[in-house]
Amino acid sequence: MFLPYSVVNPLTLIAVERRLPRAGEVLVPGGARVESFQLVAKTTARPQFGIVNVARELHLPPKKVKQALKVKVGERVSAGTVLATRGMLGGRVSRAPFDGTITGYGHGRLLLEAPPVEVQLTALMPGRVARVWPEEGVTVQTYGAFIQGVWGNNREGYGVLQLAVRAPHQPLRARRLDASMQGAIVVGGAGLDAESLAQATEMQVGGLIVGGVSPGLLPELAAFDFPILITEGIGEIPISSAIFALLRDLAGRETVLSAHWGARWTTRPYIAVPMPAESGRVVETETPLAVGSQVRALRAPLRGKTGVISELPADKIELETGARLAGAYVDFDGEVDFVPFSNLERIL
Amino acid sequence: MQIEQALESILIADCGTVATKMLLLERVETRYRFIAQTEVLTTINPPWEDVSVGVMHAIEEVEAITSRTLLSGGHLTIPRDGLSGVDAFVVILSGVEPLHLVLAGLVKEMSLESARRAATGTYTVVDDVISREGSLHSPEGAWARAIRDFAPDAVLLVGGVDGGASRPVMELADAIALGTSLLASEERPLLLYAGNAKLRSRITKLLGGLTEVEVVDNVRPSVDKEHLAPARDLIEQIFLEKRLQKVPGVEMLSRWSNFPLLSTATAFGRVVEYLWHREDNTNRGVLGIDLGAASTTVMACFDGRLYPSVHGGRGIAYGPLAWVKKYGLGRLQRWLPEEISEEQLLAFLHNRELHPGTVPQELSELWIEMAVVREMLRAALRIARPVWDVGADISLYRDMMPYLDPILISGGGIVHLPSPGQALLAVLDGLEPVGITTMLLDVNRVAPALGAVAGIKPLAAASALSLDTLVPLGTVISPIGRASDGDTILSMKIQYDDGSELDVEAHYGELEVWPLLPGQQATVELQPHRRFDVGLGRRGKGGTIQVLGGLMGLVVDARGRPLRLPANGEKRRKLLRRWIWDVGG
Repeated sequence: MFLPYSVVNPLTLIAVERRLPRAGEVLVPGGARVESFQLVAKTTARPQFGIVNVARELHLPPKKVKQALKVKVGERVSAGTVLATRGMLGGRVSRAPFDGTITGYGHGRLLLEAPPVEVQLTALMPGRVARVWPEEGVTVQTYGAFIQGVWGNNREGYGVLQLAVRAPHQPLRARRLDASMQGAIVVGGAGLDAESLAQATEMQVGGLIVGGVSPGLLPELAAFDFPILITEGIGEIPISSAIFALLRDLAGRETVLSAHWGARWTTRPYIAVPMPAESGRVVETETPLAVGSQVRALRAPLRGKTGVISELPADKIELETGARLAGAYVDFDGEVDFVPFSNLERIL
Repeated sequence: MQIEQALESILIADCGTVATKMLLLERVETRYRFIAQTEVLTTINPPWEDVSVGVMHAIEEVEAITSRTLLSGGHLTIPRDGLSGVDAFVVILSGVEPLHLVLAGLVKEMSLESARRAATGTYTVVDDVISREGSLHSPEGAWARAIRDFAPDAVLLVGGVDGGASRPVMELADAIALGTSLLASEERPLLLYAGNAKLRSRITKLLGGLTEVEVVDNVRPSVDKEHLAPARDLIEQIFLEKRLQKVPGVEMLSRWSNFPLLSTATAFGRVVEYLWHREDNTNRGVLGIDLGAASTTVMACFDGRLYPSVHGGRGIAYGPLAWVKKYGLGRLQRWLPEEISEEQLLAFLHNRELHPGTVPQELSELWIEMAVVREMLRAALRIARPVWDVGADISLYRDMMPYLDPILISGGGIVHLPSPGQALLAVLDGLEPVGITTMLLDVNRVAPALGAVAGIKPLAAASALSLDTLVPLGTVISPIGRASDGDTILSMKIQYDDGSELDVEAHYGELEVWPLLPGQQATVELQPHRRFDVGLGRRGKGGTIQVLGGLMGLVVDARGRPLRLPANGEKRRKLLRRWIWDVGG
């Protein structure tokens, strides 16, 4: 049986691609050792631009605008610079709406481009540059713990891992966040609320990891400048026991948190904890599903629970909905439940 | 002709967004039959990013089912070598990123509406619409920014009837040129021009130096005429070139196959066309709906003409969230037979997107899933229906569906519902058919695959279809009219094959089901109330018809058309529970 999977692994080879949003310059050679804060590539963002319709502003036919221009293509201008005039005193004037460079003229209009803004890309994860993608970025490799999440607020950061809850089912509460968590990647539990988010901002945490988040809060999370990663799904959902146990073991270590997320998991958020190791277990994605395989339930009522397959029945089993489906009996910490294959993923 | 004779076995891979279906069709004596069918996870998206991985898994499962060897050294054996391999391999695809378009035009209800319809001919998503309408001056900056920021695959520029408006169309073209020039050459969108024919050379001159320009007939050559086919065909061709042929791993599959790649929607359309010709019923249309994880396809055929309508980003998993942002949760909540909070509903939709291949395990989640099916069907029909050119004898009532027989129901969104009754109820509520309709359920998801086979081996497709591969759900009679709840609106005498008879009545507001097993036929005498039309010509007109049995039997949907749900929440939920009970829970 061929199932989707998530990596939740205490020691494996971690390869992280660091790519620029558009073509630019790679600053490090292949094989170089890099630190989290180190710049590995840079580019310029697409500049903002504006069209100044001089003909309309001066009430002139487009053909006559050229004579009225006071600037040339290629010239740098500041906000308010006179671009063109018509008449003498009391006549009409066209001014630059922002600082920039005149990059084009046609049909009585000027094209004004704002100064380019540099985009810098850091390594994020300490390690070795395993591959250089010319003009695009690099792949950084190291060994350590790696955990894939399911959703993130498209921010990234790093810091020391700290737990703010004792058990995975406890939601993160504001009172649990104090000044000692400044810059830390904080593990919450089953969810968070507006109060805990405000406190996390106040305490300047480096990032948050929770099992789930209320759908009402999701649009707000993009506004926070620290990464927030969800391990299970949307709603109040405890962090799965396998992930929580690993995070508890990793507490106190320098941790990388990437909450970049793309629809259909074109980009998946992750937690990476580099270790001083030169080898690790290879994640085998093609091993057949068998009794003893570690799995996670993806759908209510067991969403987020991890367990091991205890039996693979030959027959289809009827669910509460009336559907008869193939699946597996899974031992969730001593409690055995049937889960259809469609609602399972492997934990590797 | 040689190919025609040599094809004894055909393997078909149907790669959807979530599932890859694999079917093995073989000639047994003079007919083609399905030998094996399997379904595995699609591997187009990360972490695999290689569609062939899933296809290989599926072929291995077919090998296990049939105890035959199809692969040799990691490659499919083609042509057949003794009992190993197959004679033909066909690949159809839908699980790819839709084509991203920006539409540019003058009037939203005219040329831009036509552009939107042309775009629904295949898997597309409209990122933005730039239009002159509503603004005194042309916002060239905003238009150009839209092109630059979205960097779509293509811009479809329409507007102006042939020989009509020039300047506003050229203003749009100017802004598109500017936006395009601000993109790197490999990011620039194709420009598809389907507007005022008089401007073709000016548009080509303006944009030809910046990007590739394709010119086709005006989608609105005159105010009262719409001409979609050329623009639609061009968009389909671009989808094929820019998407299907560039799917990672598809190159290897193409090497195994002697036949061109096909989109699932195109293949599905062929089956709907075939059904229309098979039925040979000029006073009825044929409808096919395919509700997948990421798209809804509506294929209608009237008078031999196919009307394709594909709605990318409107599937059972991907799409409902964006749809809810636009239309609100109320439209989904009205279909729920128990109270479910907005918070729960939203969480469900988010999680459905995160795990698109999952199935409901709890009843409350099943109810939400059925509500999504109903609304996705309704949303797709709202766009698809206006272009159906239906004769007055097929569509007697404005704002209601024309007469359709059969309706073919396909796609995991519906066929994976736990019971046939649930599938039927969701479809009846989503489509609101009228008159007499046979419902066919594509349980084994074979319809698109057979459409693909029809292109290379029409006889194989036809003989496989005739062997009940499409499972009849039953015959549904949906009388048109209004009455008070409980009033008798239809009397029927059902004469079964074995000679037994049943006299029954249908009451307004009810969903009535009478047994008629798959494979059975019955003769039914219908006598509707004088204010009700059952599709036999006019209100009150009765008659005798032959009906097909099915998983549900003979169903009378006496709930009225259009369907009205009580505004009172408790009453509505009670009614919805009763309807679910009526169709078997």
